[in-house]
Amino acid sequence: MAYSDKVVEHYNNPRNVGSLPKEDPNVGTGLVGAPECGDVMKLQMKINPETQVIEEAKFKTFGCGSAIASSSLATEWVKGKTVEEALSIKNTDIVRELSLPPVKIHCSVLAEDAIKAAIGDWKKKHGIEVPVAEKVAH
Amino acid sequence: MSMPATSKTNAPAQDYFAIFGLPRKLWMERDALEQKYLQLSWKLHPDNFVNATEEERERSLRRSSELNDAYRTLEDPVARVEYLLSLENMRKEGEHKQQAPPELLEEVFELNESLDELREAKSAGSDLASLKSRLESAEKNFGEKLGEVDAQLQVTAREWDDALDRNADDVARRKIMGRLNELLNRRSYVRNLVVNVAKELGEA
Repeated sequence: MAYSDKVVEHYNNPRNVGSLPKEDPNVGTGLVGAPECGDVMKLQMKINPETQVIEEAKFKTFGCGSAIASSSLATEWVKGKTVEEALSIKNTDIVRELSLPPVKIHCSVLAEDAIKAAIGDWKKKHGIEVPVAEKVAH
Repeated sequence: MSMPATSKTNAPAQDYFAIFGLPRKLWMERDALEQKYLQLSWKLHPDNFVNATEEERERSLRRSSELNDAYRTLEDPVARVEYLLSLENMRKEGEHKQQAPPELLEEVFELNESLDELREAKSAGSDLASLKSRLESAEKNFGEKLGEVDAQLQVTAREWDDALDRNADDVARRKIMGRLNELLNRRSYVRNLVVNVAKELGEA
């Protein structure tokens, strides 16, 4: 499988690898997996409770190059965004940016899920109601 | 997963169960399957087509490669379930979301981290004893999990066969297939880990 240049770039120089303290009330953690390939992805964000701006984002992914690139890109994109803005990131945006082939689309789905899961976790910590189906930002 | 190739002669491709003249049931007798396989292979053997036309020879070749795929798939109980689900459009890949249970994800993640640590310790030449014993117990734990999943798969496969026998409705069938799908997901996670752990421990 030939990876696109952008995937290779993220794979060789992944951004924001690492972890944030899970217990920190301002940190949201999303752990998601794609059983068909055995990938697991952990994405964490530190969110300012006043401004709702994502100040820091870290990830750790065990999986293929596309999964690593998708999560690396996701952390880059969410940094500096508000929670609402981050929730509007779609897996198709990631597919386009990284030129993922159809067989690797699930990697981008995983990254989108991880963003939603991390924000959902943070909201839960702050007692914010999480809608059943996250609405697309207005 | 490869689906039966559509034959160029426009004849509808038979599914693997049909090739063996079997209903879409999950329990099968291995010996009987093998016997049937040998029988069908023999019929398609090139020796029987010495005087045949070019077209007939080509077709027999194609059918014999289909037969081999069919046998390899049905002979393996897990591949058989996967194949059944793909036939029934219940095993979608790509965009379709297949989530693993959260508590399993935690364990999978932690074990992957231990594997990473072992790799790093190995390349740094540090002491591996404690890491190794931790991984060995993880290997055992996941090996047991794999056994549990396989046992559940067997039970659920029997439920599927029963559902076919009593002509259960679509809803009931889909429910069972959904469970089979979940079990396969769980299995692929656990199995990948068991393989990785065994590999790292073997090299340590």
